Order: sequence, then structure tokens, then C-alpha cells
Amino acid sequence: MSEPSIFFSDVNERQGLFHRREILLGGLAALGLTALGGRLSYLQLVQTQRFQKLSVENQFDFRLAPPPRGLILDRNGVLLAGNRPNFRLLYARDKDLDAPAMLQTLADYVPLDEQRQKRLLTEINNTPRRVPVSVMEDMTWEQFSAINVRQPELPGVTADMGEVRVYPFGGAFAHVIGYVAKVNREDLTETGPNSDPILLHPGFRMGRQGIEKALDLQLRGKPGAAKVEVDANGREVRRDTQGDIPPTPGAEVQLTLDADIQNRALEMMGEESGAIVVMDCRNGDILCMVSAPSFDANRFVRGLTGPEYRALANYERRPLLDKAMTGTYPPGSTFKTMTALACLEAGIDPEERVNCPGGWFFGGRTFRCWGRHGSQNMHDAIKNSCDVYFYTMSVRIGPDPIAKVAKEFGFGQIFDIGIPGQKKGIVPSTAWKKEYFKGTENTRWWPGETPSYAIGQGALAVNGLQLAVMTSRLANGRKALNPRLIRSIGGKELPRGDAAPDLPFPKEHIDIVRGGMAAVANDTSGTAYRQSQLGLGEVKMAGKTGTAQARSYGSGPRKSTGLPWKMKDHNLFVAFAPYDAPRYALSVIVQHGGMGGATAGAPRAREVMRVALLKDPEVRERATRTPMPELTPEDGLEGAAPPEPQVAAAQTPRRPA
Amino acid sequence: MTASAITRPGERDRLIVKLSQVDWTFCLVLCLIAGAGGLMMFSIAGSSFEPWAINHLTRFGLCFAMMIVLAMFSPRVWFAVAYPVYAVALLLLVAVEIVGDVSMGAQRWLDLGFIRFQPSEIMKIGIVLALARFYHGASAQTARWSWKLLIPATLIGLPTLLVAHQPDLGTAMLIALTGAAIMVLAGLSWKVVFALCGGAMAAIPPFVMFVLHDYQRQRVTTFLNPESDPSGSGYHIMQSMIALGSGGLLGKGYGLGSQSQLNFLPEKHTDFIFATLAEEFGFAGCVTILLLYAAVIFMALRIAALAYSHFARLAAAGVTATFTLYVLINGAMVMGLAPVVGVPMPLLSYGGTVMLTVMSGFGLVQSTRVHRYNEVTSGKGALF
Repeated sequence: MSEPSIFFSDVNERQGLFHRREILLGGLAALGLTALGGRLSYLQLVQTQRFQKLSVENQFDFRLAPPPRGLILDRNGVLLAGNRPNFRLLYARDKDLDAPAMLQTLADYVPLDEQRQKRLLTEINNTPRRVPVSVMEDMTWEQFSAINVRQPELPGVTADMGEVRVYPFGGAFAHVIGYVAKVNREDLTETGPNSDPILLHPGFRMGRQGIEKALDLQLRGKPGAAKVEVDANGREVRRDTQGDIPPTPGAEVQLTLDADIQNRALEMMGEESGAIVVMDCRNGDILCMVSAPSFDANRFVRGLTGPEYRALANYERRPLLDKAMTGTYPPGSTFKTMTALACLEAGIDPEERVNCPGGWFFGGRTFRCWGRHGSQNMHDAIKNSCDVYFYTMSVRIGPDPIAKVAKEFGFGQIFDIGIPGQKKGIVPSTAWKKEYFKGTENTRWWPGETPSYAIGQGALAVNGLQLAVMTSRLANGRKALNPRLIRSIGGKELPRGDAAPDLPFPKEHIDIVRGGMAAVANDTSGTAYRQSQLGLGEVKMAGKTGTAQARSYGSGPRKSTGLPWKMKDHNLFVAFAPYDAPRYALSVIVQHGGMGGATAGAPRAREVMRVALLKDPEVRERATRTPMPELTPEDGLEGAAPPEPQVAAAQTPRRPA
Repeated sequence: MTASAITRPGERDRLIVKLSQVDWTFCLVLCLIAGAGGLMMFSIAGSSFEPWAINHLTRFGLCFAMMIVLAMFSPRVWFAVAYPVYAVALLLLVAVEIVGDVSMGAQRWLDLGFIRFQPSEIMKIGIVLALARFYHGASAQTARWSWKLLIPATLIGLPTLLVAHQPDLGTAMLIALTGAAIMVLAGLSWKVVFALCGGAMAAIPPFVMFVLHDYQRQRVTTFLNPESDPSGSGYHIMQSMIALGSGGLLGKGYGLGSQSQLNFLPEKHTDFIFATLAEEFGFAGCVTILLLYAAVIFMALRIAALAYSHFARLAAAGVTATFTLYVLINGAMVMGLAPVVGVPMPLLSYGGTVMLTVMSGFGLVQSTRVHRYNEVTSGKGALF
């Protein structure tokens, strides 16, 4: 058919059909649009709150804000551990960021050598995306501001001001307070109270030793949160300071230590290795507990390099060991106070005399005395530190009464002073021997062991804190004082050391021992007369010297002079003052300090004691300054700093108000 | 101008008269929608014309001018180029199949050196013109049901398959549905319509299971349960719904939409710009925009209804159908009623090719209005 098949009727039909169909499809379009409107009203009017909540969850994120770590103060409020501002450079990796190139760029602003860049890169790659890694700490203000100005051109980089722990006295408190150091992988996997999200915060440090470790959770505080607006990639867009939850600062810890005494004590130790512990013998407060040589705790906060650590760990005087608590030593003649008390308890008459010809024959061998003292009663024996007297008497009473007295005075015991690391030491007795050598032939106590025990040698091992506790219990005379190191945590005071039972010894007995100690320091023939003069008039010290063998003397000379350091005797001294109304007790241990407590121990004890006494206003009132006897060169004190006359007024940084 | 003046012979062919016959209210509504798009782009760029708003508005200006120029051409011209345009579009689709640029995992673009464009967009106009041209020469009886319907079926089927193979399912669906709408408007028997609908419904599950690409299937399954995987593939739908819902009645305020400003909303300036608008202007803003779209659709349908020639009315209605489908599909997608397919909101979304297509289509619609009293037939309308 070549004819067009379009006729008028057909045209009209097509048009009518189109119009009807168009109305229908228009209706469908209207229906569709209405459906959209309906959906909109459901989403926007009915479900508004749900979606608004989701939107806010998208928009805002809470970022942990680390709390300032609690301060550690001495008894007078002097800052021992605080926080200082720290300008840090942080970098967080993200998917479209080039970390190696960025480190290259950053090297223009801060010193970053190849090796450090490599190390940082591994650290960055091991950290989850968008978790910042500390690239540099302790930037100068110039570096900090330079980075801050260029921050928009440095994606992933932030420069912020954090806080870092600082120990103003460096080494003086390093063993007691310890230090904080970076969190390592083990800390994170550990479950329990330590698995805290704050540990992941860049630059966060946790307590590693001493008070910092023992009270880590209290010092740490509670992290706050900073409300930040983030974009879909988690990048911070804005801070909403109104929405911040402020962090709760860590609890303030006040110690019983006195910074002046502690600093002077460390100074007095000089190059020597040893410990000084000072206690208040009225209430048990530890005023000083120093171990020498020490180390700068601030280095540990920053992170030690390998060589630095090896130098500390391999030095023969062992700076990392706390010699006041962890190191145990034979107490030497300072232990004769205990033996004397044990004799009195066993009913020996203190006036009974023993002749000292310079040696004592027992069980087939000769026990030598350090001198030839002639006829000695108990008072003389303590004053002269006569070995023969104590050899004779101890064999009469046996080891167990001595052990009983030693235990009453705190030996062989760990005190609850709040920090870890104390070693119990050994207080020998027949029972101890049986237990200790169980399974061997040698479980019997041989009578020949008792004389050594009586003069503080043999298996006997004590630490500096125990010696100080013994001395303060003797000085107190009544209470079995407990040492206290932590005075208060967060303003809550801990129980005092004098909340303790009485010593089970009659006062007369203790007075005899104290009389002997007074003679040691004040009788012109006492073993430490010259070295124990405080120069404070009627305020006088009482003490007891001690030498502990670090080698077998054999039949050779006892003098340590000229021997290599490792071979010299340990030198000990315990003292309390004022003699007539005791306030302060101390113990000094000088490892390998040479023979006779007077040479290395007593002069140091005297200096430290003077600081303690002169800081006490009541003692100061009593004291009249009298010239101290000149020290002769052979009185020791090699390497110690010269005494400082105005110690009491020593300037120590005060805690900012 | 008096009524008698316009009846003078030749009077209607004067340019100034033609311009006066353009539906300026319609144009104003288009400007409002495009302006709203520009406004949102200014907001999400952080109150900056760069990089989107300035381009969008410039393009709209150019496309608007083009629309007016196209409106000056008589439907006779459109009629004459109908098959050639279709043929060129089909060839280009084949060319894309062979040498097309692969972008985002799909072959959609053809790079001619000086311009990159999507042939599937030309096809959207081409299919409308070709079908209108066919039905212009077909009797009502033919349009209702006859073997000759194989011709429009092929005209629709070929580009649909080619585009679907790129793969661009959204555009393929758009082409198929536009073609179907024209067939229905031309008078396809209801029995056939229902049969086809039923067949399509039945074909969907096997189609989803066996024909779709993995990512497409993922989109469909995600759509069915968007909250199952909010950070993965359900993310787009979920974030869009959050943007919409959190807008509430009046919105968060201009420039204050956190979902779009902080990039939680994907494709915030293109496919999901409606969600951006919904977040900042709320239900009130959304309803306003939807009413503007409704106005465009019904004005265009009215223009189609008033045309004298069957070609012009079918072409205008076909363009309107395409436009409506754009709005409905994008709206449904943004509101979580449809899977995520790459269909933008016409005039509101950023994007050159779609704007060009839509505005060319409206040029055809305006041409229909300006020349509504003209017949296009020379007497030999039929293809066969």
C-alpha cells in the first residue's frame, strides 16, 4: 500500500488516545512525586531525632585529653616530681599521605637524621591509621611556631603542647620516686587496671620504678575528652571547647622526705657507693633515703639510648641498684647493739668484765679483735667496739636470743612503706639454718658461727632502711616504730609510724646500749669521737660504727688503705641525735669504704645529721655553735664535697603556688 | 499584539513573535532549580563559587541560550534530523564499546580530543526523536498492536543493551523506560502493557542473580537492607538518609549541613545534591524543590498536549518522561527507596552532559510550544 494510512479519523483517534494516555502518565508522575514527598515527610518529620543523633555522632568525636600527672612533694611542699610544658611534633599516617616524604620535609624544621627517620617510619607504619606518633619532643619555641605556621601545608602533622614529667633534683630521689617512661607493647596487652585507653595517647608515660610505679594509677588521674568536629576522614576540623570534659589531674603525693636532707646526703656520698637513711625517731617518718651513686631520672623520661643504658648498667658501683632497700650487707659492729641487748635479756650482768688480749681462742681457732682493749664491761665494749667481749658473751647465750632481738628491731622484715624493691635480708638462727640448708648435711648451728654473728658478720644481711629502723627504735626506746615514706595521697594522710606496739624490752636495758652509743661518739676514747662532734654545743649525737668484711682477712693486715676498691671493707655507721632527747636517727652504709665506721660513715652521718638538726627550730634554739674538731686527712671523706656551713638555709626550688 | 495580528500570514515566523511564544514561566522555573543547585554548590564549597557553583551557573547560562535557539527551530527540522541523530548516537555507542575511555570501571566516555562526552546522553534525545518520528507515520491501529511494533522495540532495545553493557544500568533503564512511555503514549494496547509489566517483574530476580555485576548486585542487596553494612556499601544510602533526616522541618541552616560540609555525604555536589539541600533547608526546602519539578513536568505535559502534530506532542512528552524519570529515580535513590544508580537530579546536580541533554530536550519542548500550530508532515510520514 503506497497510500499513506493516515486519515482524519485516524488522526483524531491518535490524538484522543495520546491525551488520555498523557493524563494517565501525568497522574503517575504526580503519584511518584507524592510518594517522594511522603518519604521525605517520614524521614524529615517523623524520624528527625534519630537521624539528628546519627548526624551528631558523625560530626563530633571525643579525643582523649591526658590528665596532668599528680605532683610529688617533699614534707615541706618542695616539688620533687612535676610536669613541664613540652612542645611536641606529631604525625599521623593516613591513606593518601606520604610519610617518608613528609619526614624529609620535616627535617627542614627539626633535626631528623636518616637513622631517626628510618626508626620513625617503622613506628609510624606499626601504628594504626590516624593515630599520631611523636616525631620530636621538646622542640624549641621557634621550631614549634615554624611548624604551626606551616601546618596547612603539612598534612598529617600537628604540633601541640603536651606535658612531660620533670624531676627538678635529677638523681637525688631517683631510687625512691623512680621515673616514668614510654608505654611499651606489654603494657598494652596486659589486662587489668592498666589497660587504659590513655596508654595509647602519643607521648603518654607510665610509672616504672619507685613511687611513680607503686602509685601510678593514683598519679595518673582521669583523662578528659576534647570535643572535636571531624570530617568523614576523621580529620579534626574544629575544636568545640564548650563540649570539653576536663581531665581530672592525678592525685598529689606528699612524701615524708626532706629535700634539703636528701640533697645533702647525696652530696656527702660523693663518688662513694652506698646509702643513707634518716628517720624521725619520734614518728617513723623517713626524712632521707638516698642511694649512691644515683642517675638522672629525667634521662629515663626522655628514653635512654643503648650506650647510655649500658654505661649505667655496667658501672661497677651499680647506680641502678637501690642500696638503701634492695642491697643487703652485713651490718658489722653496728649489730653489737643488738647482741648487747640480747645479752641483757639473757640476764648477763652489764658490769661483768671480759679481758681483751686482742684475740680469742675458740673451737680450735683464734677469733681476732681489731684492737687490744684489756678489761671491758658492756659499756666499754660498745664504746670500743671490742670483739672479744661479744665473742665471749654470745657463745654463752647462743644465736636464737640474738635473732629474737634483731627481729624485734625490724631486721629480716619488709616494711610497708608503699614502694616495691625491699629485700628482707637474713637474720640467722638455728631455725633459719635448718630451713635454709634443708636437704644438705649442714643443718646444724655450729657454736663457732655464733661469735661472727655477734659482731654482725656471717650470714647476717640487712639493708640500710632496716638499720635506720633499728636505730630509731633504739633512740625512741619505747615504740617499735614503723617507717613511713608516703605522708599523704591526694590529701589523705597515711597512718603514722608511731601507731605501733611497744618494744618488749625494759627501758633500763635499752638505756645501757644507748649509753654505750653515746660514749662511741662523745667519749674521747670512743671509736668515732672526733668524727661525731656536731659542733652544736649540748646537742650531741650517739652512734655506733661498723665494718663489714668484704674479704677474708686471714692473718694479714686489716687496714683497707691501698687495696683495690672492690676489696675494701664496707663501712657503716648508725647514729641518733640529740642524745638526751632523740629526734633523728640515721644509718650510713659506704660500700667498700675502708675499715672502721668512723672513717667513711661517721663524718657523712654527722653532716647529714647537722642538716636535719638545724632544720628543726627547737633543736636550733638549744644548739650553740661550737667549733668542730679539725678532721685529719686520714679521717677519710675522699671524694666528698666539702661541708657547707649554711645547709639549713639551702635554697631549694619551692613548688609554685 | 492583538489576536488578529498573530493570524496574519507569515506573522508567526517572525523571530520576535517566536520569542514571545516561548513559555517564559517555564524558563523561570528552570532558572530557579538551577539557581538552587548553584546555591548548594556555593555552600558545600565553603562559601565559594569555586570549584562548582561558577561552572554550574555558567553551563546553565549557555545551555539556556542553546535551549532558546533550539526552540526557534521548527519541529519540521527536528523531524528531519530524528533518524540521523538516532543513527549517530547509536554509532557512537558502538564506538564507545570499542574505543571508549574506561572511567570508574565503566566505558561511558568518548574522547574526541577536544571534548569528552557520553554518547548515551545523545541517545536520550535520539530515542525520543526516533520513536516520535516512527509513531508520527504509524496509524492508531499500528501503535496499538501490530508486527510493525518490532521497529520501535528494536529502536529501544539496541541502545538499551549497548548502554547496559558499558555498564551504565541507570541510563539504560532511563532509555528503556522513556521508550516504553512513548509507546504507551502512542497507544500501545493495555493488554500488552500489563503483560510486559508482569514479564518485567518476573524477570527481575533472575536478572539480579545472574546478569548483574558484583558491585551492582551489592548495591541492590544493600539497598534492600542499608543498615546491615553502614560503613561499607550501605554507607552512601545511610549517610544520605542521615543528611535528609537530620535536616528536619527547616534544616540546619545554609552552610551548616554537617553531613555535606564534612564529606560524610558522598557525591555531595552531584548525585546526592538533593540530600545536601535537604540537610540545610529541611522539609520546607525539599517540598519547594519538588513543587518546582512538578511545575516543570506539568507545564511540559501541557505543551505536549496542545501541539498539533503527533511528532511534536510525542517528542515533547517523551522528553518530559525522561526528565520525570530522572527526578523520580534520583529522588528515590537519595531517600533510600532505590539502589544507588548514577542518575543525577536534573538541573540541580553538577555535571555538564546531563544539563546539555536536559536543556536540549527542553529546547524541543519549547519548539513544540512556539510552533504548536504547525504540522510537520509532508505527506510521506511513514517509514514503510
